[in-house]
Amino acid sequence: MTIDQFLLMKNEILLIAIAVIVLIIDLMTDNKKILFPVMIILFIFTTVIGFIYQTDGELFGGMYRSTPLINMMKNILNTGVLIILLQSAGWLINKAENHENIGGFCFILISSLAGMCFMISSGDFLMFYLGLELATIPIAALVAYEKMKFLSAEAGTKFILSAVLSSGILLYGISILYGTNGSILFKDLNNSVEITNLQALAFIFILSGIAFKISLVPFHLWTADVYEGAPVNITSFLSSISKAASVFILLILLFTVFINFSEIWNELLVYLSILTMTIGNLFAIRQQNLKRFLAFSSIAQAGFIPLGFIGGTSLGASTVLYFLLIYVFSNLGAFGVVSVVTSATGKESMNDYNGFYKTNRGLSIVMMLSLFSLAGIPPVAGFFSKFFLFTIAAKQGYYFLLFIAVINATISLYYYLLVVKAMFINENEQPIEKITSDVYAKLGLAICVLGIVFTGLFGIIFDYINTLSKGI
Amino acid sequence: MEFKLETFLFFFLAVSSIISAIMMITRKSPISSALFLILNFFTVSGLYLLLKAQFIAVIQVLVYMGAIMVLFLFVIMLLNLQDKSKFKEKYSYKKITSLLLSILLFCILSFTLYFGFTGKFKAMSDAAGDLGKAETLGAELFTAFSFPFELASFLLLAAIVGAVVLAKKKFN
Amino acid sequence: MIDINYYLLTSAVLFSIGVAGVLIRRNAIVIFMCIELMLNSINLTLVAFSAFLGSISGQIFVFIVMTVAAAEAAVGLAIVIALFRNKESVNIDEINILKW
Repeated sequence: MTIDQFLLMKNEILLIAIAVIVLIIDLMTDNKKILFPVMIILFIFTTVIGFIYQTDGELFGGMYRSTPLINMMKNILNTGVLIILLQSAGWLINKAENHENIGGFCFILISSLAGMCFMISSGDFLMFYLGLELATIPIAALVAYEKMKFLSAEAGTKFILSAVLSSGILLYGISILYGTNGSILFKDLNNSVEITNLQALAFIFILSGIAFKISLVPFHLWTADVYEGAPVNITSFLSSISKAASVFILLILLFTVFINFSEIWNELLVYLSILTMTIGNLFAIRQQNLKRFLAFSSIAQAGFIPLGFIGGTSLGASTVLYFLLIYVFSNLGAFGVVSVVTSATGKESMNDYNGFYKTNRGLSIVMMLSLFSLAGIPPVAGFFSKFFLFTIAAKQGYYFLLFIAVINATISLYYYLLVVKAMFINENEQPIEKITSDVYAKLGLAICVLGIVFTGLFGIIFDYINTLSKGI
Repeated sequence: MEFKLETFLFFFLAVSSIISAIMMITRKSPISSALFLILNFFTVSGLYLLLKAQFIAVIQVLVYMGAIMVLFLFVIMLLNLQDKSKFKEKYSYKKITSLLLSILLFCILSFTLYFGFTGKFKAMSDAAGDLGKAETLGAELFTAFSFPFELASFLLLAAIVGAVVLAKKKFN
Repeated sequence: MIDINYYLLTSAVLFSIGVAGVLIRRNAIVIFMCIELMLNSINLTLVAFSAFLGSISGQIFVFIVMTVAAAEAAVGLAIVIALFRNKESVNIDEINILKW
């Protein structure tokens, strides 16, 4: 193996290196605050390298593979985690009780990201399974992290139980697939998978295992409680980064291994999509806790994604990636504001946000932009990504699905606007006082805003992704 | 029918593994559940031996029974879950539904597996005897599969750090 | 010679018992053990396929699954202990609204 081949994995290697460096510094020093800037600088370095130095190819006999599209997805994930790390700075550094755990927190977040990168560039089911587990198991510890909070420990229990259960179901599917085809490599399976009862069963097991991770209805039951109980930054990690990575690996599996099954999964995904959008929306309307509200709205958002899968076209793949890119920025923007407010005041209820604009202009404008983008209001990026998804469904002739999706987009518009109305119009005698956020959080929010504005304004980004998606 | 030791062993192990699994999910006390689970692992490791997977059978005993289940037992005893009143579980229509659901799952699984694999394999592969040996497995693990092996070690490191982060919590 | 179907059926029975346990029991530790049972039955399937196909990757997979099970047990039990120290209960019904 030459050095060039080795550098295919540069992203994962750098991430693991950063994680280990963080751990070593954490063990060596007593002043844990130094750790944070060092890690941020290293992480920015990794992210930038990911954008500059693109590679593609295969390693270890096809176990690890990398294509331009996968590289792009890794860049999106890196940027997202960078934003989350920046946002959690205030919470980690300003609270004395968290100082002990700065190293552990960053280590787990970064190693989970490394797991996701391994997962999306896996070429066989063994690597896929390992990456998936590396992405979920350590995060469970952070879900249960909040001190003295019963809700958090409870959320951790639910998270790890459902994660392990879903990966068990997934594994049964993998084992059946192995038994029928005699291989676990994607490129072997690609040729030999065919529609028999046995392999259809395996496919359904694998699909439901991943649907747990994306929290498609009816596999969403763990989501709301976990999102509410976990610390805000972990919630934003789970609802954007984890979800985006799982969607992407689902895309790869459907488009490569299960491409012969496309008739089956087209139908299945239509039902899953309709259920997810509708139920996510119906629950989101009733929420009063802003974190829980964003959790349900993220379930509803995930319901739009299967529209891009329909037909299995490469245009669909690039649309899904474009949607994920914008979704990560907008969701992290909204969660970033919630994170700043929660760590400063501890308020999470929607009524607390009444009159938010009068005291915190900048924050409320960021929140408004992100919510507009999530809702899909024309000038903002979110509009284009949803519009493109709808076009894919329309081209394939799924008009009923399209109809339901448009109705759901309208409903979601209503409840996102409710929050905006609360911030800008509603009166409040005791609004949240002026919050001065730290440099890290400001930087994180600035990246989000830039992402939302620029991906919408410049069509070149979609064209760029579209050129990448030829070879999934 | 001719009496064969292998057939007898298989049915003995399979039936006892199923019985111990049923006992495990029906016991009220977590400790007896854990002990029945250990019995189940033991019988399954016997099945591995019948499948000529010696190394996996040994690992099953050493790692699963010797480490993981001991960890479970240790936690159960640490939490001191002796108070029987805590284990009262209500029986409701939900449980009957879930029982029916899992029976349905079993029917689907067994029918598809049975009809899918009947006649597909004539006999155990000739290579099977070699595959299960520690040297074959070790050679594969450190050549073709060295990459997943290293990744698994990183997974263990991450899990340990996770457990340490939780252990650092202070409680009143 | 024992047909592969017998092994697969045994494993299917164990898997369904595991699922039944997850759905029926309310004690978090016992649910964990039921999931271990499910993983175990999957391992049985993998080893059976590996022996009948004559391919090694099934047994490597079992090896990795055991590692993952150990990692899961470490983190999961740490969380259960945290839960217990917050409130003296490991019964999922008591820790509230787990609406499966």
